[in-house]
Amino acid sequence: MQSLTPSSRGGWLRGYWLPALLLVFLILFPFIVGALTESSPFGVARGDRMVMRGESVRWQSVLIEVYILAILAMSYNLLFGFTGVISFGHALFFGTAGYVLGLLLEYTALETGVALALGVLAAIAVCGALGLLIGFVTLRLKGVYFAIFTLAVAEMFFIFFGRWQLTRAEDGFAITDLPVWLDPSQSRISFYYVALALAVLTFLFIRRLVNSPTGAVFKAIRENEDRAQSMGYNTLNYKLLSITIAGMLAGVAGILQVILNKKVGPELLGVSYTVDPLLMTIIGGIGTFSGPVIGASGLHFLDVFLRDAELVIAGITIDIANIWALLLGVIFILVVIVFPFGIIGTWQRRRATRKQRAVTTGHPPSA
Amino acid sequence: MADVLLMAQNLRKAFGGLVAVDDVSIQVASDTTHSIIGPNGAGKTTLFNLLTGRYRPTRGAVIYKGRDITTLPVHARAHLGIGRSFQITNVFPNLTVLENARLAAQALGKDNFRILRRADSFAAYTRRAHEVLEITGLRDVLAVPANVLPHGGKRKLELAMILASDPELLLLDEPTAGMASEQVPELIAIIERIRAEGRKTIIMVEHNMNVVMNISNRITVMHQGRVLAEGDPRQIAQDKTVQAVYLGELYDLPTGGSA
Repeated sequence: MQSLTPSSRGGWLRGYWLPALLLVFLILFPFIVGALTESSPFGVARGDRMVMRGESVRWQSVLIEVYILAILAMSYNLLFGFTGVISFGHALFFGTAGYVLGLLLEYTALETGVALALGVLAAIAVCGALGLLIGFVTLRLKGVYFAIFTLAVAEMFFIFFGRWQLTRAEDGFAITDLPVWLDPSQSRISFYYVALALAVLTFLFIRRLVNSPTGAVFKAIRENEDRAQSMGYNTLNYKLLSITIAGMLAGVAGILQVILNKKVGPELLGVSYTVDPLLMTIIGGIGTFSGPVIGASGLHFLDVFLRDAELVIAGITIDIANIWALLLGVIFILVVIVFPFGIIGTWQRRRATRKQRAVTTGHPPSA
Repeated sequence: MADVLLMAQNLRKAFGGLVAVDDVSIQVASDTTHSIIGPNGAGKTTLFNLLTGRYRPTRGAVIYKGRDITTLPVHARAHLGIGRSFQITNVFPNLTVLENARLAAQALGKDNFRILRRADSFAAYTRRAHEVLEITGLRDVLAVPANVLPHGGKRKLELAMILASDPELLLLDEPTAGMASEQVPELIAIIERIRAEGRKTIIMVEHNMNVVMNISNRITVMHQGRVLAEGDPRQIAQDKTVQAVYLGELYDLPTGGSA
């Protein structure tokens, strides 16, 4: 029987050398930046503790933010790109996870390690339960009605946490009680590896899930829900599973965000944590594995590089921070025009058409 | 007379004030091909959707193997052995031909929530998918996305997908719709082969009179939501009322030979 997947020919690394190389680079990244900028990846020693200063440490933060956004975008893509369910309330999971962890760390008398472990588990469990509940109530609604409902629930949570006196309303509260190895203001590099590991695990998990029999049903629902039902799939169950898992993964991103900033506040529930992963997914490629990661990296790096930049044109200084939203809009429009299926999606389609043409004309595809 | 596999009893379906199906009763015997014909707007597709579970009847009952399935949802009917095809080609466009067929093959299995194993590691489903793609002549286009197939290819894929779950009762909604006429005989041959080899019962809504007259054992003619006539192809072709409302010049009874 012929081989079904082209990449199964040759050694196990074949087809995987690029991601493997990227992973090695990201593992060595703090040290590479450290060597290039002559800064220590561990920060600067002051007395008996480390102070997080220097280029390497600063760049670790930028990449941690990329990992967090990538996890959030991958989670969004599982629901939107692979199952075809459009949610406008993804920030709900992101922020709720942050609050649950924050509350357990700061508002209970538990020992740090115990509070952290419980907080992480509880945050993920609450996100899963929220996903299940919202799905159960509303997934019978189609398309835009479901999206509006999720938006409404997310806004409700935003308003609630913005007013709840216990969590200091719109000011939010600081996280102070973290173990040293996870505390980005004491040992950023170890937190960097935690975030990297979680991003990689999320990527691998989603890929495995989407390639499983269950993932095949997700895609079938995205393509044609009626048809999937007539085959015997109770599609509601699969959509519930998808939103539950996506909610839990978005919760993981929220947990990391809260630890990175050491602060919990209602901004975590703001609509930008819904819109950003949506844009990142569209720009990178809806329903592709690496698209959301590419989108998250691209948008965040643009943000970091351009936000504080000043542009001098013909003697006139333009402060990019002021026109950042406008610029982002222009970039978004350009990307959508040039890459109608996102960067990765468009590239994959072009490659597929080239292969098909080779098949129909009888010539073997060129590499 | 053979066993009755599916029975519709006094089915009525009203959409607001419009009664699309009115007091329709049919009995479909096992191992037969039963066609439902009639002019546009006769209520064929509505009746079809009542049988598949897409619509719930306003009144009446659907009995399958002696069991009342009137209120059973679409996916649950599939588990009882009822498979359907769609009038509008209804494959999963961005999935490959093999993935389309495999989804159909795994649908009634018990592995649909095995989230951490690769779909292609379940050999039984992949094998079944290959079998039905072989029967329908799509073996050479396994890795092609379904939307790239020509129309006739998609109709064949539709059939492959219904076959994959090995239903006892196949509900085919205009299987030759939109097909080039030279492709029709091939599809008919596939349908005939499916029924002969698999001991399957087929209920078919079809416009193409050649197809209907050639492969049906029994024909129900609908008109304005009601059953106008029922009989074997020869009886239907000679029925004066049927000729008046529907067949007319559309179909000339073949001389000699039985259908």
